[in-house]
Amino acid sequence: MIGKRGKILAALYMIFLVILFLMCSTDLIIREPENEIYQVAVIIEAAGDDNYGNFRKGMDQAAVECNADVRFITLYEELHAGQQIDLIHREQQDGADALIVAPVDEKVMAAVSGKQGNAPIVLLGTGGADEKADGMIVVDYRQMGERLAEEMKKRIPADCPVFILADEHEKDMATRSFLEGAESVLEEGGFRFWRVRPDGEEGYREILEAQPGGKAAILAGSPEALTGAADILEKDIVQPGCVQGLFGRGNTPAILDDLDGGVVTGICVTDEFSRGYFSVRRAIEELERSGTGEPLVMDAYYIEKKDLREPKYEKMLFPME
Amino acid sequence: MRKCCFLWNRGNNGCIICGKILAVLLGVCMVLTGCQGAGEEEKKNSIRIGISLYRGDDIFINNIRNELEEKAKEYEREKGIKVTLDIQDAKGSQNTQNNQVDRFISLGCDVLCVNPVDRMDASVIIDKAMNAEVPVVFFNRQPVEEDMNRWDQLYYVGLDAKETAVNQGKMVVDLYREKPSAVDLNDDGVVSYVLLEGESSHQDSLIRTEWSIRTLKDGGVPIEKITGGIANWERSQASALMEQWLGAYPDKIELVVSNNDDMALGAVDALERAGITGVNVVGIDGTTPGIEAVESDRLLGTVSANKETYANAILELAASRAMGEELPREYPLVDGTYYWAPQEILIRDLGE
Repeated sequence: MIGKRGKILAALYMIFLVILFLMCSTDLIIREPENEIYQVAVIIEAAGDDNYGNFRKGMDQAAVECNADVRFITLYEELHAGQQIDLIHREQQDGADALIVAPVDEKVMAAVSGKQGNAPIVLLGTGGADEKADGMIVVDYRQMGERLAEEMKKRIPADCPVFILADEHEKDMATRSFLEGAESVLEEGGFRFWRVRPDGEEGYREILEAQPGGKAAILAGSPEALTGAADILEKDIVQPGCVQGLFGRGNTPAILDDLDGGVVTGICVTDEFSRGYFSVRRAIEELERSGTGEPLVMDAYYIEKKDLREPKYEKMLFPME
Repeated sequence: MRKCCFLWNRGNNGCIICGKILAVLLGVCMVLTGCQGAGEEEKKNSIRIGISLYRGDDIFINNIRNELEEKAKEYEREKGIKVTLDIQDAKGSQNTQNNQVDRFISLGCDVLCVNPVDRMDASVIIDKAMNAEVPVVFFNRQPVEEDMNRWDQLYYVGLDAKETAVNQGKMVVDLYREKPSAVDLNDDGVVSYVLLEGESSHQDSLIRTEWSIRTLKDGGVPIEKITGGIANWERSQASALMEQWLGAYPDKIELVVSNNDDMALGAVDALERAGITGVNVVGIDGTTPGIEAVESDRLLGTVSANKETYANAILELAASRAMGEELPREYPLVDGTYYWAPQEILIRDLGE
């Protein structure tokens, strides 16, 4: 026969067993230590990631180092501000810890500045004065355009007409600033220049061969326009020597191939790997409140074929993962 | 006095009370344990798909990747379900791919789409997926049947290698029947060919070679093999081999049979560098550069996978598994596991 004390002990034993069971089978009492994984959404201004190859490599590198889960999101349609704003809201509602945004235009910028969620936003800025966000990684496209035009001035005669290739990217903030910068320098230098939108091979032929001196230079505003022009010039559809030089910006594999092949004369680039890397790092810093809050301004470089194999540029343009 | 459970009690009431305590405790245990799964039954409004590519620089795989991204956007817009694609390049390393699968699982991917590096070594991936109960859609490189039979949540999307090869052979047979001199360039009654193979142990490579050549023979083309080599599906390797052969067998090569478009284009590069025209080159895959080469008469033809259907099948299968829905009826599975994407012959304009 068990006494009262025995019964209490037995009951305590039973409770102990139950607690043990709970500890083993659920995480309600003892939780496994969790490494916090930061959810970071990167929303770019384009519908494809063609111009973001090296950026993504840098982003992935930072994601591994910072224990971040980075989602790279493209728009359904190229340069659609409304879609970008919707995606920003969607990601905020879906619990993204931080956002990295390459804004399509000022409308998106306004939405980002007056952010409605708690997630910090890192802006991939274009050098505009009204750009404001928790963190900023800035490429000053106006300055880049000025730099390219300065280099062009050294390479083409002062009487050489310059055709500035515009396309639908003309409305994106980066292209707009880039072209404004380039045009201001060309204007100061007394160059004759026109914005043109040639329609296919025939359009190029008409524009280029109609020049009195028979020579002209081409400046492409966007990486897409530069690739398009290079594709056409590669086909030798215009008379040899008709084009004094083809200049532009961007470092997609196609552009670098064209630079290497001599179709493109010179390009302005930034270190896209570092831009991707630092944008994620900056987002994590904002989350951990360890950042300085100062914008990080990326340098722009002018590169020609001869520079491609220089270690400094090779490392920047063809980064190892 | 009688025993009651493992407690002694003085009467029936005591036994009942003891039983009640036990029942309550058990109930608490069950409720608390059950709490963990609460909420999992809610309808999903987002899915996450982990995609590992055997090599991101393979043009065909790159084309499929682009299509997958497009299809994911379409799916998202049509169904209102957010689709997150995590796309990783294994760079030809099975070890890297295994690590990628680990990461996908730890990130909570609902389904995996894997283009295996080593089709003979898919069991590691399958083990990981089975343990985590994450379905897998393999594509492009078919794991061995033994592995595919291990679980009913494994699927494969690809091309029927035999059909592809027969189509490739048929292109040359048709041209030879119509105009023999267009294939037998020196009119000696023999079509001398060289062969560019993908990988030595790759099932598709072996089947493509076997059935392409068999179709040529069965179709009455008097073929004679000059030489052949393995170029690992790569344009640069194929170009180097072709250059070597052009030097070793001058004016002899009349036909180049290639296991894929990239290698076929490598052969074209070498022919163009040597200033040789007229040699017929046939490829497989219908990659973007391959199709462009057919359109510009640099390739005789290619067998093109319908990449849109191919990618859609992968995405729809994966999404249906992730959402726990029925398998898509538009993509009927053979043996409940395999989907063979449709293909078509693309041949240059022979009107001249």
